[in-house]
Amino acid sequence: MADIAFLLLIFFVILARGEDDSHVQWQPARAKDVKVVSTARATVTIDVGFKTYLNGRVISPDELADALTPILGDAPSGQRYVFLKVHREAKATHFEPVIAAISDAGGDLVHILEPEQIPNKQ
Amino acid sequence: MKLRRGKLLVDPPDCSSSDIAFTLIIFFLVSAGEHTETGIPQLLPKTEAKAEKGEQSKNIEVSITPTGIVLNGSPLQLQEFAQRIAEALKQKTREADRIVVVKSAPETPYPTWIGVSQAISQAGGVLTLELESERTINVE
Repeated sequence: MADIAFLLLIFFVILARGEDDSHVQWQPARAKDVKVVSTARATVTIDVGFKTYLNGRVISPDELADALTPILGDAPSGQRYVFLKVHREAKATHFEPVIAAISDAGGDLVHILEPEQIPNKQ
Repeated sequence: MKLRRGKLLVDPPDCSSSDIAFTLIIFFLVSAGEHTETGIPQLLPKTEAKAEKGEQSKNIEVSITPTGIVLNGSPLQLQEFAQRIAEALKQKTREADRIVVVKSAPETPYPTWIGVSQAISQAGGVLTLELESERTINVE
């Protein structure tokens, strides 16, 4: 019985990794006053090579709005969070079309950032 | 001198090893899911057509370049910009007057853009992006 449960668990773990974006390489920018944010319906990432990903899959910024619309569905505002993970070295040419696409899809944008370290006074 | 090893009276049950493995997996799955994200939420109304020219001229205009920030024609650094934008928005009472039009140079780094957008939001402004393709996006 436990063996079957074990195999089922492995199966679901592998299935869940399909939407995982942990393989996408990026470094967050730092900012003050960042908050802990809740879970998102979708994650858009701009990686170190300035490629755009939607839930871990490469996508063009032109196709992003159309791809996000069915994911967000008819969820009310406040439940349409889209995490935007932008590599700290990205430029406006990379991230502005992505912000525009999230806006077009009606997503609630959340910039994923790292809290700025306060230097120790010694 | 020889030591006598006593016989085990009960063999350990074999089936318990898979139960332990199962419990360990549950433990690692739960602990892996504990990772929390931190960031800044921004409410984005749907993309709107460019505001009328007459109305746009009243708005505060901000240009971001890789070297600095230009507020209504005067070049500033981020700290000074945050103070100036807060002063400028204090005088505005109507929601429509609190719109801040932000135009970024193509080479503007993301951390600079985030700093400017954060300063505008904290001052109570409504950030509006002006893109190269002449589309306007409001960011609350």
